[in-house]
Amino acid sequence: MLTVKNLTHWYGQADKPLYENVDLSFDSDKVYTIVGASGSGKTTFLSFIAGLDKPQKGDIFLDGKNIKKIGATNYRKHKVAIVFQQYNLLTYMSALDNILTALSVTDSGHKGEKQYVLDSLKSVGIEEADAKKNVQKLSGGQQQRVAIIRAMLVDANIVIADEPTGNLDGENSAMIIKLFQDLAHEHHKTVIIVTHDPKIADQGDVKISLEDREFVVA
Amino acid sequence: MNYLKRSMLYLTHKKGQSLLLLLIMSAILVFVLSGIIIQNAAVSATNSVTKSAGTTISVSANRNKMFSKMRSSSSKSKTKTITTPTVSNTKIKEAGSLSTVAYYNITNTASVNASSFDTVSTSTGSQGGGMMKGGSGASTGNITIDGVSSTKLTSSFISKEDKIVSGRNITSSDANTKNVVIEKELASSNSIKVGDTITVKMTTSGKKKIKLKVVGIYKAKSTSSSGMPGSDPSNTIYTSYTLPATITGTEGKSSTVTYTLSNSAKEKVTTKKIKSIINSSSFSVSSNDESYQQLLQPMKNVQSFAKKIVWLVAIAGTIILGLIIILSVRTRQREIGVLVSLGESKLRIIGQLFSELFVILIGAMVIALLLGNFVGNKVGNQLLAQQETTSVSSTSGANGGPGGGGGAPGSSQNGGMRGGAMTSQTTTSAANKKALKTLNTSISPSSVIKLGGMGLVIIALAVCVAAISILRLRPKDILIGE
Ligand SMILES: Nc1ncnc2c1ncn2[C@@H]1O[C@H](COP(=O)(O)OP(=O)(O)OP(=O)(O)O)[C@@H](O)[C@H]1O
Ligand SMILES: [Mg+2]
Repeated sequence: MLTVKNLTHWYGQADKPLYENVDLSFDSDKVYTIVGASGSGKTTFLSFIAGLDKPQKGDIFLDGKNIKKIGATNYRKHKVAIVFQQYNLLTYMSALDNILTALSVTDSGHKGEKQYVLDSLKSVGIEEADAKKNVQKLSGGQQQRVAIIRAMLVDANIVIADEPTGNLDGENSAMIIKLFQDLAHEHHKTVIIVTHDPKIADQGDVKISLEDREFVVA
Repeated sequence: MNYLKRSMLYLTHKKGQSLLLLLIMSAILVFVLSGIIIQNAAVSATNSVTKSAGTTISVSANRNKMFSKMRSSSSKSKTKTITTPTVSNTKIKEAGSLSTVAYYNITNTASVNASSFDTVSTSTGSQGGGMMKGGSGASTGNITIDGVSSTKLTSSFISKEDKIVSGRNITSSDANTKNVVIEKELASSNSIKVGDTITVKMTTSGKKKIKLKVVGIYKAKSTSSSGMPGSDPSNTIYTSYTLPATITGTEGKSSTVTYTLSNSAKEKVTTKKIKSIINSSSFSVSSNDESYQQLLQPMKNVQSFAKKIVWLVAIAGTIILGLIIILSVRTRQREIGVLVSLGESKLRIIGQLFSELFVILIGAMVIALLLGNFVGNKVGNQLLAQQETTSVSSTSGANGGPGGGGGAPGSSQNGGMRGGAMTSQTTTSAANKKALKTLNTSISPSSVIKLGGMGLVIIALAVCVAAISILRLRPKDILIGE
């Protein structure tokens, strides 16, 4: 369980915070969707729970342990997997090598299991030939699927996604959302997705909206 | 799948960029290597100068002593004679057999008058003629007999001012013979050929005639610049060192000898030893390593220049590579962001950068080793050639001074007194100049190690510079900054 306690953050002036004293918690096996106006601070919030940045005030606990104690790099390495809107992959290698790299960097259990990676990619419609091509030769939808498979195969239990379908058409988006649901429901991970798309927001198990500097859990 | 493998994937994917880096790196290393090669070559050349016969020790009359003697004697009698001090040939030989001596050349001089032939007088003859006859009335003749151990070892022959054009050299086996080598002009103006016999007259009271056998003809490069016929180089006859001794009545003795050392570093010890062997206050035993120092100078210049090349190129290379890497880090922000978001440590990201450059360094080393020797050789010898010209011109300038100003009437140029320090200096510099004309450039294992070390330092510094910009990237900025 990921718990956010008393989180306050501002850029520049302390008297104009993005949000104050935020308390939220995220459970495994669930898909959380966060919606909110542009500039409301969704990405900023994700950067805290992803261990990429530190809030001005407040703490984040993973299973009761402060992530400051775990250490940001360590936390990113073993606890969270991040999927961005784009540029998720190392452009100088294949999809297969991207995932093998991630497994190796994160020292995950499936490290070096080439066939397992190929099978997983195949399960989302990426054939071996495509898996071995340079990733830049894959479509945007395919690239996002590679990023999600990467999040699936690493040991990290929390998957954080910022507008993962932002660059995709409806059909591809639906496929991606289905994959995130699998991550939560079948792979027992905590999935937190920031999105603009109300259709996607509705497909989460828990919907959180960031309105008027408040996180509101629906 | 560690960062080393990532490096390889990166390099092979970005072929163009890798190739460009390889070229730049190779260029840097070629320069560094040629610097190292030139430096090494200059160092070993310098060492070989030390070992080779660079320094001479000359044993010649102690002039101060000689002249003070002359003055004191002239106060008593009107007709004074300068007796050049001599030393026995046995002592000379003994000193010559010292292990630090490479070879030696005895020089004895005598003055005689031409008998069966005419001397060569300098073309214009405006100052010559009469003066010559008047002068010859004294103990100075119009022909200078230069007795040497070997003409080949004689300064003017080594420096190629004099050159055998027909017949042969005077060698040590000519000792105790009356074989001579005469100048071409003297020969042609008197129609003398190799094998002919010529006659000279002694200047002393008896005016005894001596028959000489011509075994060779040499050509003197310079014609006399002074108007005095006695100093016209064409009137110098080379013989064995024994003949002038016979003429001056000092058989078995010699007045000047120049020892050339096999190792210039042994100069002091050898001088001491020779002094104790000669054991006479009438002689000054002086070493001359000026020519050795003079030869060393261009080498030292090349050395320091090469050192500067190495440093300049290394610094410039580091800056260039550093800038390129900083630029590439900027374009690689996303890639770095992906790795950071995966939890890769920045240190390993820097490690990847380093290993990419390391692979390029290895490639560039291979290219540099293939090209470096060639470039080093060319550049090194070019540098040396330049150094040579400057040093040669400075040497000839110094020597040209006294000779060229010979027109002045008061010049104490004395036909009977040659050899000594001046001669030996030109001897050695001429000998070694030849040896140092080319730098022997080659790549030694230590040069390769040095090059590798330099290369490593260059890429390490470049990576450090880039690392600063990587470390400054905040993870979130990497991800959000587009
Ligand atoms: N590093 C920063 N320094 C200063 N201000 C920042 C920084 N990052 C974000 N902001 C500001 O904080 C606010 C929230 O930004 P954030 O990117 O979190 O919004 P968002 O909800 O993700 O918006 P969007 O839906 O457009 O992606 C914005 O007004 C933004 O300008
Ligand atoms: Mg955002």
